[in-house]
Amino acid sequence: MARSVWKGPFIDGYLLKKADKVAGGGRKEVIKTWSRRSTVLPQFVGLTFGVYNGHKFVPVLITEDMVGHKLGEFSPTRTYFGHGSDKKSKRK
Amino acid sequence: MLLGAITGARGLKGEVILKSFTQSPEAIANYGPLQSEDGAVKVVINRLSPVKGGFAAKLKGVNDRNGAEALKGIGLYVDRDQLGAVEEDEFFHADLIGLDVVRGDDGVIGKVTAVQNFGASDLLEIALTAAKGTVLLPFTKEAVPVLDLAAGRLEVNPPLGLWDKGGTPDDGQDEAKTAKTGQKGQKR
Repeated sequence: MARSVWKGPFIDGYLLKKADKVAGGGRKEVIKTWSRRSTVLPQFVGLTFGVYNGHKFVPVLITEDMVGHKLGEFSPTRTYFGHGSDKKSKRK
Repeated sequence: MLLGAITGARGLKGEVILKSFTQSPEAIANYGPLQSEDGAVKVVINRLSPVKGGFAAKLKGVNDRNGAEALKGIGLYVDRDQLGAVEEDEFFHADLIGLDVVRGDDGVIGKVTAVQNFGASDLLEIALTAAKGTVLLPFTKEAVPVLDLAAGRLEVNPPLGLWDKGGTPDDGQDEAKTAKTGQKGQKR
């Protein structure tokens, strides 16, 4: 069942404070967090979070497409990532 | 470059079960003739149909089950040149894996072991020489300003706080404080 709209998106308060501080400071730094349950808000776009997956902090650069998802969705906790011998990556 | 493997025979007419490692599994048939690691066996895929556990493939020149069973366990490779061209600032993962990672005055600090994408951006997984385990780095122009495939090296400039101490850790103190006050989240 989906979360009620009147509640608004969930985010841990301390994470929001940290994100506002980093965004306000203008410095490019990683916000390490354990709060995988927090929702990505529009003001996070452009910030980089280090989202803990139980093992390490996975760098997650926030883009517009990710708004509304939870941070944990971008930091998998299991280790099989599939094959892809002909995969390409673009340096952005 | 390894693109797939033959895992067994299927039926009596020489079909094999083929496992594809390409990004789009069906694309294995688009790379032309494939060969075994030593180049002794050459394989041309005539027909490919999905089955449980991979694909049923009809190979050129294999017409009975004995012929198909003889190919079991063979890895299917292709020359790097057959993979085609890439755009500017685009790289095959196979080209990135194994590159030396250089960081400023520290010199070579490790090697690229994998390229991951967990739904956000592409990430380089780097095995450090000085420490156990691996670290992740966003594959961006800021974090990887210099990439020289010919020299087999890339220079990195990790964002503040990713590998080093510092940055803005969301430490447990704040979490403990919010737990005490009962303020779990914040509405926006």
